[in-house]
Amino acid sequence: MGVNESLQRGRAAVRGKPFLFLAGVAGLVLLADLLARLAGVEVPITAERSFGGSLSALRFGGLVWNGIVVGLIFGLAGIGLSMTYSILNFANFSHGDLVTTGAFTGWGAALLIAGWGGSSAGHLLSVRAGSGAGPNAIGASVVQSPLAILVGVIVAAVATVLVTVAADRIVYKPMRDRGGIPLLIASIGVALALRYSIQFVYGARNRGVTATEGVGVPFYGVSIDLHEITLVIVAVGLMLGTHFLLQRTKLGKAMRAMADNKDLALVTGIPTERVVTATWVLGGALAGVSGYLYVLERGTIEFNLGWFLLLFIFAAVILGGIGSIYGAIAGGLVIGLVHEVSLIWISSDFNAAAAFVIMILVLLYRPEGLFGGVTTA
Amino acid sequence: MSAEDPEDAPAETIPDAEGDEVPSGDAAAEAGTGSDAGGAPDRDVDAESDPLAKVPDDVLLQVRDLDAGYGDLQILTDVDLDVGDGEYVTIVGPNGAGKSTVMKSVFGLTTYMGGTITFDGTEIHERAPEEIIHEGISYVPQNENVFDGLTVRENLEMGAYILDEVPEAQIEEIYDRFPVLRERSDQKAGTMSGGQRQMVAMGRALMLDPDLLLLDEPSAGLAPDLVQDMFDRIDRINDDGTAILMVEQNAKAALRRCDRGYVLANGENSYTDTGDRLLADEDVRQQFLGG
Repeated sequence: MGVNESLQRGRAAVRGKPFLFLAGVAGLVLLADLLARLAGVEVPITAERSFGGSLSALRFGGLVWNGIVVGLIFGLAGIGLSMTYSILNFANFSHGDLVTTGAFTGWGAALLIAGWGGSSAGHLLSVRAGSGAGPNAIGASVVQSPLAILVGVIVAAVATVLVTVAADRIVYKPMRDRGGIPLLIASIGVALALRYSIQFVYGARNRGVTATEGVGVPFYGVSIDLHEITLVIVAVGLMLGTHFLLQRTKLGKAMRAMADNKDLALVTGIPTERVVTATWVLGGALAGVSGYLYVLERGTIEFNLGWFLLLFIFAAVILGGIGSIYGAIAGGLVIGLVHEVSLIWISSDFNAAAAFVIMILVLLYRPEGLFGGVTTA
Repeated sequence: MSAEDPEDAPAETIPDAEGDEVPSGDAAAEAGTGSDAGGAPDRDVDAESDPLAKVPDDVLLQVRDLDAGYGDLQILTDVDLDVGDGEYVTIVGPNGAGKSTVMKSVFGLTTYMGGTITFDGTEIHERAPEEIIHEGISYVPQNENVFDGLTVRENLEMGAYILDEVPEAQIEEIYDRFPVLRERSDQKAGTMSGGQRQMVAMGRALMLDPDLLLLDEPSAGLAPDLVQDMFDRIDRINDDGTAILMVEQNAKAALRRCDRGYVLANGENSYTDTGDRLLADEDVRQQFLGG
């Protein structure tokens, strides 16, 4: 009787949401496969394919760690995107190029300090646009010049804030009352203008930035990348700081209030214009720092790096529930983890697709996103 | 300066305003062409309840010949309205008469098109809401009047945003007034019942201890047994000295409790009188109170 009932309920569930059911089955098979691989069990199915296999815990751990690292980048950049969306009601497509802005300005400053005297200031400030000293000769790494790396973080934040606030004053503010779509289109224009300004100033070449000497540290048989550690510490610190700002400070509470209900904020006496500016400042700073940290981790810089990141940042924000900063962080981690862990099964040409498939699956089940309806709180 | 003006203002401006009342706009046209044969019911009422005679001597809010609307759309024409110090005034009238628009205009939320709004001797008709709130007016909108994602306490804190420090004493006073808010101070306002949300909204508006509280449909969406409770609470706020200007669908209940009522139709105000006399008035009953 009981079995019969649950069978029937199962059938109803399969009929009601067949796609979700298939996804669940696929997920279980992948999980079983993952466990089999970790246990070293291999069951041949065909000549080329087999269930299970071998996957060292070390490699798995490495993939998870990489997922967390890129996930934190997506999440950190996503906070600003999510906040400007919830307070100003528009999806800011120039956010990716703000990430790039932070990367170039921050690394210009970091290289200038790290390589002072060893190469021309122009070469260093332009993040090695022309010919000159190479990354290892300049020596920009947390081991050789921690101060330079720290100053770079601050410059990335400040410069990106200036660009962000200027874009708001010149472009977004005058058209703020015209609704989300005109603003969105304007932001695409700002994105292109920013990207090609960056290309004009810094050049289009993809080049190495960070010094690698001594960055990998052996630690109980594993190699720990100090740049990744730095990224995780700074990113988590900034996320906690943002959480504190939003929950404990008057300004942060006003931001949440405005994200909740702009009209009510206005009649409550909250200086809405100042809160909007503060939101741009916070979002811009986090975007700039995330771009800077991203380059710290991958070691190379390129004028369209933010544009490529933007899709992942959007995916993270939408997956987490647009408008929620915790959703952006959680969404970033999910996208980052899927992006990396999926490498177990698929080649690195397709792992980005896996991240977006997961996003779509989650949205099918929870259209409002993981943290949807929770708002910025 | 501000100490003198409010006292002088009524004596000077009331006769003015009364003079305006007859010759301006439609009223002038009616006065010119209208006969005594009852063609225009509002003339009868005006005659027997001289509108501005009931206004207390110390006028807090004075609206004269107000034209206002949204963008290019004009809603209000020549609206006159007064609220005395500590007075309890309601605006009643059919749907779409512009009742809420009067309130929003006082709070600087509409497009100003003409006339004057004076509060405590200061002209406020071209000020923004965040400036008006500094003058001592607070506003409780009809819908979505709490910050859902903020806790009860945070909602109250937002009400005092313009102050440098969170006024703990005032929060305590509001908790005393609405004890359920103290119990639920850490609860998200969005998870509360309609009646409790209305208390949060009023508490937020009372954080600055305003001289005038604007209430837009405070009973909207409340269960019938809560409506009386809400009106009782409003009475008590008024008893403590805060003047109230209220728009209310529940016109009979509102008129029974208020000091004075205004009847608004088609964006113009037709009569004012004490609540009781408006309730007793046959025309008002038939036209606006459903018989």
